[in-house]
Amino acid sequence: MSDFVQIAENLAAGNKPRVRELVQLALDQGESAKKILDEGLMKGMGIVGGMMEREEIMIPEVLDVAQFMSHVINEMLKPLLLEGDMNPYGKVVFATVQGDVHDIGKNLVIMMLEGAGFQVIDLGIDVPPETIVESIRENQPNMLGLSALLTTTMPMIKTTIDHVIDSGLRDQIKILVGGAPVDQEFADEVGADGYAPDASSATQLAKSLAN
Amino acid sequence: MSHKGLQGGHYRPLSCEQVESLHAAALSVLEKTGFSYEAGLDETLEMMEEFGMRVDREDSRIYFPREQLMELVSKAPKRVVLYSRDGKNDLYLEDDRVYLGTGGAAIKILDLETGEARHTTLQDLYNLGRLVDQLDNIHFFLRPCIPKDIPEALYDENVFYACLKSTAKHVMAGVNDFDGFHKMMDIASMVAGDLENLKARPFVSVIASFAISPMRLCTHSTRIMLEAVRHQIPVALSCAPMAGVSSPITMAGTLVQTHAEQLAGIAICQMIQPGAAVLYGGIPGRANLWNLGYQGGSVECGMMNAAIHQLADHIKVPNYNSSGLTDAKIPDAQAGWEKAMTTMLAAMGGSNYVHHAAGMLNCMITVAHEQFVIDDEIIGLSCKVLAGIPTDPEHLALDVIDDAARGADFIKS
Repeated sequence: MSDFVQIAENLAAGNKPRVRELVQLALDQGESAKKILDEGLMKGMGIVGGMMEREEIMIPEVLDVAQFMSHVINEMLKPLLLEGDMNPYGKVVFATVQGDVHDIGKNLVIMMLEGAGFQVIDLGIDVPPETIVESIRENQPNMLGLSALLTTTMPMIKTTIDHVIDSGLRDQIKILVGGAPVDQEFADEVGADGYAPDASSATQLAKSLAN
Repeated sequence: MSHKGLQGGHYRPLSCEQVESLHAAALSVLEKTGFSYEAGLDETLEMMEEFGMRVDREDSRIYFPREQLMELVSKAPKRVVLYSRDGKNDLYLEDDRVYLGTGGAAIKILDLETGEARHTTLQDLYNLGRLVDQLDNIHFFLRPCIPKDIPEALYDENVFYACLKSTAKHVMAGVNDFDGFHKMMDIASMVAGDLENLKARPFVSVIASFAISPMRLCTHSTRIMLEAVRHQIPVALSCAPMAGVSSPITMAGTLVQTHAEQLAGIAICQMIQPGAAVLYGGIPGRANLWNLGYQGGSVECGMMNAAIHQLADHIKVPNYNSSGLTDAKIPDAQAGWEKAMTTMLAAMGGSNYVHHAAGMLNCMITVAHEQFVIDDEIIGLSCKVLAGIPTDPEHLALDVIDDAARGADFIKS
């Protein structure tokens, strides 16, 4: 019986060589790659998310752990994983809305979501509503994430959601909104399914909406 | 009494040698790293090539040879006058002369009745203009909030109308697009009597966030910036990297990058119109690495904003930057000391046009009436420091000392 808790805790503590050793040990003991991923690494990222929310870990350290985790997955687990194992929570299309070129917060959320087991299709910055609708049609995600940093571009979130409604795709997806000036009140006004103030709670929210 | 336009420059975080070396580093960044650009700037790229810049279209990158670049930069005026409508608050931006005022595009205001944060309206913008008109230490009115109660497509004309109607002080704002810029021009020309009067004494000016840090030209804002230049309306070339996320975590690295971005923007404007009135708009900021929020109230922001004035002064272009930012959500102790610290440093640094200095709370999301009044005091006291201590015979007060020492008293004399 492998110690998945050890993997999770060492990942959260940033003990990189130890994590590699423990993952290798688990594989040698015949544990499945999916179980190591779910109960070890992703649990570890969950701990990191909580620490981030409580401001016990700084963002650059979070990024460092996430990047390391993705190396471990790619190098040690990926060949052993089945289609679908990586992304138990499904697909999210993400975009910074038209007129807005700010994506640091969006990218952070994407990274946390990927670490938590979502497949993310990132459409980038300054994305017109038409492109977003097209991507939903093409990729069939179960969620859409929209972000804006500027108070002057926030209204474009509503325009985009209205466009999704007009195109008849609204019922297929949950819509999450975020960005510095965005709050729950705004999310309610524009008819989003959820709002989160930071990347960690965005991950929790996305998971709860996915289920 | 208002101490506007006094000379600052008492606080210089960079030595002369450091200014030289940061400037040289910025030139080298522009030569070796250059700028990337968004699609849709073909004409501007062609113009830049005519002026000796090297455009690599395959790699979407512009390189700025230093001699041609500095030749253009040297055409920018060392003095820009931003007029007030009534002539009482004209701003002579040059050297280390300091003016401070409002800024931002807040979407929330602490309601006067309930104290709760609620959406800002066009009426709020007008009311704040009236308030600022009466607060002597606030030297200009840069629209501090967005009218959330009207459609976005109507923002530009309504914002300028509300600002011009509410105060005679200089009015500055960003515009959403070309159309908005021309609507603003129509309204301002009407107020001025005609377009020629407006161009002779521009009492309005615009902000264009032409650069996306790090080192990328934004098509939309670059086009607005150049349109303002073509119409002889002064323009602030805003770029506001956050140390740690959109510029290096080090203060020196952030200053070099910001300066490089500004040199490029100023040069592009001078290609359109040599002598165009531009403000060096580098606003070095800082990220809160716990959550990537904007940490405008940090002492490093005060230090870097003083340093950026030195870099602007080095190339003799008046500067536009920030002080008075805070992540405090209400006018509390934190708001008080962060604002006092950064505003005092901006004033003592000699920055010419310091916006955001009044009214802002909550990382630029919120404004509050009472905060404008408090900040009016902070600005007044910061500027008083610049007035220094007079030591002429009257102020030496030797007679008063003599009289008091012989039995009279200070209170009655």
